[in-house]
Amino acid sequence: MQAVIETRKRNPMSSAQCDDAEHAAKLLALVASEQSRQAFSELFRFFAPRLKAYATRQFGNDQTASDLVQETMTNVWNKAHLFNAEKGSAATWIFTIARNIRFDFLRKNKHRQHDLSADDLWPVLDDASFVTDDEATLDDTVLMQQLALYCEQLPPAQRDVIRAIYIEGRSQQEVADAFDVPLGTIKSRTRLALQKLKELMISDD
Amino acid sequence: MIKFHPTEQHLVNYVTGDLTPAMLMMVGAHVDMCPVCQEHVRDIETELANKVLFASIPQIETSSADLDMLEQIMAQPPQAGSTPRPSLPSYEISLEGQRFKLPPTLGRTQQHIGDWQKMFGQLWRAPIQVGGDDVLTLLYMDKHTKVPEHTHKGREATLVLNGVFNDETSDYRDGDFMLLDDSVKHTPQTRDHDCLIISALDAPLQFTSGLSRLLNPFSSLFFK
Ligand SMILES: [Zn+2]
Repeated sequence: MQAVIETRKRNPMSSAQCDDAEHAAKLLALVASEQSRQAFSELFRFFAPRLKAYATRQFGNDQTASDLVQETMTNVWNKAHLFNAEKGSAATWIFTIARNIRFDFLRKNKHRQHDLSADDLWPVLDDASFVTDDEATLDDTVLMQQLALYCEQLPPAQRDVIRAIYIEGRSQQEVADAFDVPLGTIKSRTRLALQKLKELMISDD
Repeated sequence: MIKFHPTEQHLVNYVTGDLTPAMLMMVGAHVDMCPVCQEHVRDIETELANKVLFASIPQIETSSADLDMLEQIMAQPPQAGSTPRPSLPSYEISLEGQRFKLPPTLGRTQQHIGDWQKMFGQLWRAPIQVGGDDVLTLLYMDKHTKVPEHTHKGREATLVLNGVFNDETSDYRDGDFMLLDDSVKHTPQTRDHDCLIISALDAPLQFTSGLSRLLNPFSSLFFK
């Protein structure tokens, strides 16, 4: 393996450095699309020692510093598909992953009961936050159209409840008041409707 | 239009995670609501990333331990594709039949928010347990509600989530972020609008005027 890596060092691909933002983004894309070991090795060779120097300054402890490097680079390997070049550079993304891991390391040292996790504060690796605004709108639209079709298949009473709650955004209590039926009825209609919708969606796949 | 923002230093400390849990929540919630600070945060992240990751380091040769780590990481099957978690359309909290939208930072940590408690007048509070020594609280003031004049032994950070309130100096609206210290004496109140705020205190309030001073022995019950 050593020999292979030595050869890669002279690979023409490596002529550009990871401090070139475009190059680093390209490497991440290769890791994401084809799990390229070569691309990841190059990222690792560049970023791991730098992360190590940073983490050593932060923790003053070699083992903890190595753990931070390993966790950060593992996320880069596993979650490269979540990198979005429009939101920032590869280096910034990797930095924010390391920041989150540092935060959780420090938090765990303090044994505090109600502490916040880094993911709560900065959902860097949250798949949902990866969706860009445009995609969200598109997905929503497609999903909404499909859901509208399914809703047509519900019994009218259930359909009205679903509309009021999920489209008009009213609370169950408000719907109960508006339809002049007990809250329990609205709850059971909602439950039945959601169950039915779920069946429709699953059988459709 | 948001008039009051956290300082640059707050934003830098937010980006690195070096604030108390309560202040991380406060600044994070403001950033959620404020496009100007969102851009600052992106700039600070980029700047710090460049400083940390492009700094010249004395020893840059990959050691054999590093290569072991590299092999160990790549031995794991990468997770291709994404499995989006069911995302809520928006985060909300309700009080007395009213519903309020929460900024994502608060929405993601909703399990830390305790039950609403009614205080004097039309003032409600719900504690947010996030650890650390500061006390983080959601406060709801109905229309025409006044918090008696008070000062702070320590520091009070306030963020308006929804609505308007005033004190002697200004009015504060959605997204406004204020940091007050013990040099400021003020009487927050609402007029024709209600107001939902979140506040972080590092010491109990000190009520300063008239009968409200009687509240001081209890203010720690209300606010801490
Ligand atoms: Zn701002």
